[in-house]
Amino acid sequence: MISKKKNPRVSRRALLGSMGAAGVLAPFIPMLQRETEAAPGDFPLRIIFLFSANGTLHENWVPSGSENDFTLSEILTPLAPYQDQMIVLDGLEVVREGPGDGHQMGMGLLWTGSRLLEGTEFEGGGDSGTAGWGGGISVDQHIAAAVGNDNPYSSLEFGVQTQGASVWSRMCYAGSNQPIAPEDDPAGMFNRLFADFDVDASELERLKGQRQSVIDLVKDDLDSLMVHHGSADDRLKIDAHLEAIRSIEQRNQAEQPVCEIPVEPGEMDAGANDNFPSISERQTQLMAMSLACDMTRVASMQWSASVSNRRFTWLGIEEGHHDLSHRGDSDPVMVDNITAINVWYAEQVKELMDALAGISEGDGSVLDNTLLVWGNELSRGNSHGNHPVPFVLLGGAGGRLEMGRYLQYDRVPHNRLLVSLCHAMGLTEQQTFGDIDVGSGGLPGLT
Amino acid sequence: MGLGRGDGGWLALVMAVTVGGCYAGVDQFDPDGGAGADGDDDGDVAEQCREVQTGPTSLRRLTQSQYERTVEDLLGISTDVAQGFAPDERAGAFKSNGVAPVGDLQVEQYMDAAESVATDAASDLASLLPCDPATAGEDACAEQWLRELAPRAYRHPVGEADIARLMAVYSTAKADADFETGIRVTLQGILQSPWFLYHVELGDLSAPAADGEPIALSGYELASRLSYFLWDTMPDPALFDAAAAGELETDEGLQAQVERMLVDPRAKDAIASFHLQWLGVDEIEGLEKTGSLFPNFDTDLALAMKADTASFAHWVLSEGDGRLETLLTGAFTLSEDPALLALYGVERPAGHVSGEPIPLPSDERAGLVTQPSVMAMHAHADQTSPVHRGQLVRENLLCQLLPPPPVDVDNVPPDPDPNATTRERFSEHTANPACEPCHRLIDGLGFGFEHYDALGAYISMEGSLPIDASGEVIGTSDVDGEFTGAVELAGKLSQSVEVSDCMARQWFRYSLGRMDAEGDTCTMDRLSEVFAESGQDVRVLIREIVVSDAFRYRLATEQSP
Repeated sequence: MISKKKNPRVSRRALLGSMGAAGVLAPFIPMLQRETEAAPGDFPLRIIFLFSANGTLHENWVPSGSENDFTLSEILTPLAPYQDQMIVLDGLEVVREGPGDGHQMGMGLLWTGSRLLEGTEFEGGGDSGTAGWGGGISVDQHIAAAVGNDNPYSSLEFGVQTQGASVWSRMCYAGSNQPIAPEDDPAGMFNRLFADFDVDASELERLKGQRQSVIDLVKDDLDSLMVHHGSADDRLKIDAHLEAIRSIEQRNQAEQPVCEIPVEPGEMDAGANDNFPSISERQTQLMAMSLACDMTRVASMQWSASVSNRRFTWLGIEEGHHDLSHRGDSDPVMVDNITAINVWYAEQVKELMDALAGISEGDGSVLDNTLLVWGNELSRGNSHGNHPVPFVLLGGAGGRLEMGRYLQYDRVPHNRLLVSLCHAMGLTEQQTFGDIDVGSGGLPGLT
Repeated sequence: MGLGRGDGGWLALVMAVTVGGCYAGVDQFDPDGGAGADGDDDGDVAEQCREVQTGPTSLRRLTQSQYERTVEDLLGISTDVAQGFAPDERAGAFKSNGVAPVGDLQVEQYMDAAESVATDAASDLASLLPCDPATAGEDACAEQWLRELAPRAYRHPVGEADIARLMAVYSTAKADADFETGIRVTLQGILQSPWFLYHVELGDLSAPAADGEPIALSGYELASRLSYFLWDTMPDPALFDAAAAGELETDEGLQAQVERMLVDPRAKDAIASFHLQWLGVDEIEGLEKTGSLFPNFDTDLALAMKADTASFAHWVLSEGDGRLETLLTGAFTLSEDPALLALYGVERPAGHVSGEPIPLPSDERAGLVTQPSVMAMHAHADQTSPVHRGQLVRENLLCQLLPPPPVDVDNVPPDPDPNATTRERFSEHTANPACEPCHRLIDGLGFGFEHYDALGAYISMEGSLPIDASGEVIGTSDVDGEFTGAVELAGKLSQSVEVSDCMARQWFRYSLGRMDAEGDTCTMDRLSEVFAESGQDVRVLIREIVVSDAFRYRLATEQSP
C-alpha cells in the first residue's frame, strides 16, 4: 500500500510549530466546564448515525421476548451492558422507489427516505440501467441545520474506509444531489478539529487574520463566478462552496471551544484492509472527543460502504464481506462469518458508547445526553432485501425516549423512524421525511 | 440500420439489455429508441447535424492528479498533498468531479493544502519569484510576480481589478509580518480561488447566446480543455500563446496543438490515466491479495502492473500503429520489472534494448484485457472472478448496461462443492432462473478469463482440475458466438463495431469529464464514423474529438437575475 500521507507536511501545524506525535490517543480529560454542577437538560443533546454494510442475519440479530423483557441474540450480545439504553427495532422496511440497485438505494435512501436521482453517472441501477446521487437531504443534516448552528461544526462525518465517491458509498446528503464526503483519515480529522488548539494567542490571532483576508478573496471570486453561471446545477455548486467558506469563516472568527485536546493519532495507512480496526478505534475516540468538546451536536460514523468487501482478517476471515454475504443460507461459512462480522460491528458500537460513557457530564455522562442510531443498507446480503432492515437506537437520548425496549413492527416504512429522530432532537413539528414518505408522524409506540 | 452507428445508438444500447427484464435481444428493440437527434431519413440526420450541438456542460473541479500536476507546473513544487482530499467523483469510469458540489470537508482540505503548498513555495523565494526584491523593491517584485502568476493559475487573462485585490492581500499580510508572509498568504488565496480549483468554462461572453443555445468556448478555455485532456495538467506557455493569438479557433490550429502535445512527455500521463481508469485499475496500489496464497504480491508488484498498462498503451499510441486492435491483441510488454516478467513467465531477451517491447506468448496474452493489472484487479483476494471480469467487458468495452440483481427473490446460491472449480461453482448462477438472464450476459464473457489467476498469472490447472475457458458472447450486434479463452475473445472484440463505438464513447467521456448525452448524438456519430474509417486509430479519434462541437462549445445558460 502506498501510504496516504497527507503531505510532506508543512501544513497548518508546521506554521504553528510542531505538536509532537504519539502513536495512540491518550485517555480523555473531561472538559472543564462539564465538571460544574448543572441541572439535567443543561447539557447538549447529540445524535450519532452509525452504518455498517451488507445486511445482517435476522435470525441471529433479532432479540427474543417481549417489549420490556427481552433477551439479546448473538449479534447484539456485545451491547448487553447497555441493554437498558437500547431500543431494538424489528420489522422496519426501507421503501424503495426510483432508480438504483438494492445496494445503491439501500445506501442512498437509508437516512434520506428519498428516491435517488435519475442520472447516468452510476451504472447498475434500476430500469434505466443507471442512477444518480441521492435525491434529498438526509435526516442527520436536517437535524444539524436546526440544532447545530451555534457549534463550530453543524455536523461531523467520520468514515472508516468508505471507498470512493459514489452512490454506493455516501449516506449523508446536504440536499438533493449533494452527497457529503466523510473524513476517512483520523490524522486528517485530528488536523481539522484540533490543529489550531496548541497555538499561542498572538500567533493564532495573526493566523486568523491571514485566513480572513484569504476568505474574503475567495468569497469575492465565488461571487464573480456566480454572475456568469446560470444553470441551477452550477449555481448549487458555487453556493455550496460559498456556504462552506462562510462556515470556515465563522470558525475562524469564533473563540475556540474550551477543551482538552487528545494526543494526535500517529500516521497510519487509512486505506489498508488490516488497519480497519485501528482506524475505527481512532475515529471513535476522536468522535467522542468532538462531542465532549461540543464541537458538534450531530455526527456520523460510516464503517466502509454498501457492498463492502473488507476482509475481516483480524477475525480470521479471509473472504470479502460482500462475497461472504452472497453465499447460501445453509452455507455454514456464510452464517458463521456474517454473524461474526456483525458481532464485531456491535463491539465497535459498544466501544463508542464506552467512550461517551467515560466522559462525565453533570451527574451522568455524555452518553446519557446522546442518541445513537445504527442502520444498514440491506436486511440481508444474499437477498438484497429491504425488509426487515436492522435498526437499533442506543444511548440515554437525554431522556427523550424510553429506552430498554424491543419493538416489533410489520413492514412499517422507516420514514416513521426518521420522523421520530427529528422529534427526539426537538424538531417536534416534523410529520414526514423524504419524498417517498406517504405516511405521517413518528414511529408508533416509540414515544 | 446498424447498432450504435449513425442511429443514436447510445440510448438504444441501454434499451437492448434492460427492456423486459434483463435482455430483450438485439432484434427486439427499436433502434431509434428515444435518442433525440435521429430519424429514419438519413437526410434529416445530416441536416440536423449541420447545426452546432452539444450536451450539457457542468462546472467541474480539478481531480487529485490534476491538482498536483497543476501545482507542479505552476510553482515547480512536487507534492502529494491532494492524496488526502476526499476521493474524486467519477462520470462512468472517469474521474471528473463534475456533479456533486463541495462540502465543508473539501473546502477545509483546499485551505489546508493551499497553506501547505504556499509555505513550501515561499520557503524558497529566489526560485518562486521572477525578480529580486532587494533590487527591484519588494512591492514591485510582488506585483511583477502576481502579474505573471495569476493568469497562469487562473488559466485566463486577469484584469487590473484582480491584480489590485491580490496586491491588497499581499500588502496586508506583509504589514502584519514580513515580505515572505505577504507572498505566502497571497499564494494561499490564489490556490483557494475557484478560478484555480474549477474548470471554469463560461464561453465567449462577448458573443452571448440564448439559454440552451450553444456558445463557443474562449481560446483560453479551449487551451485548458486541451491540456487537461491530453496532459492532465494546465496549459504550457505555447498553448497560452496560441489561445492569445486566436489560433485555437480553427480546426487546423487545434489539431496542430494535438500533434505537438501528443509527442510531449506529459501526454503519457493522460494516455495512462485514460486507460487505467477505463479498465478500472487506476487505484491498483490499494489492491490486496491473500498473503498465504500470493506471498510475492506487494505494492511494488501492483505498481509494476499499473506501469505495464500505462507504458503499453502509450507505446501503441506513440511508437505503434495507434490502433484499437493492437491495444486489444498485442502480445508484448514494455515492463522490465523482474517480478512482473516472472509473473508473465518470460525473461528479458538477450540483447534487449531498454524501452523496446518484449514479446509474450501469443497463445496466452492478448493486449490490455489479459494484462496482470486488469486480471488482478478484477478478481478476488484469493481466486478469480468471472463475474467481475465479464462485467468489465460488458460495461467498459461494450458500453452496455446491466440491470441490478433481483431483490428479495430466491436468488440464494447453493452450498459450495469443495471439489469444484471456480467455474463450476459460478455456473450455478446460470442454473438459477432468477439469475440466469443477466449472468449469462456476464459469465459467458468472464469464463473466458479462467486461465488468469487472481494475480493475472497464466495457469492451465486449477488445483488438480484442468481449466475450462470456453465461453459465449451474446447480446452484441456483431461478435456473438462461442469462443475459447481470452485471446480468442480479445480477437473477437477487436473486430467489433460495437467495441469500436464504445471506445469512441469512452474517449469522449474522458475528454470532457462527463457522460455523453442526447445533445451529443451528432458528435458521437461523427466520432464513431471517423474512428471506424481510420481503422480504429485512437490518434485520429483524439484529433476528431478536439474539433467536435461538444469539445468547442457549451450550452449557454441564463444569466442570473
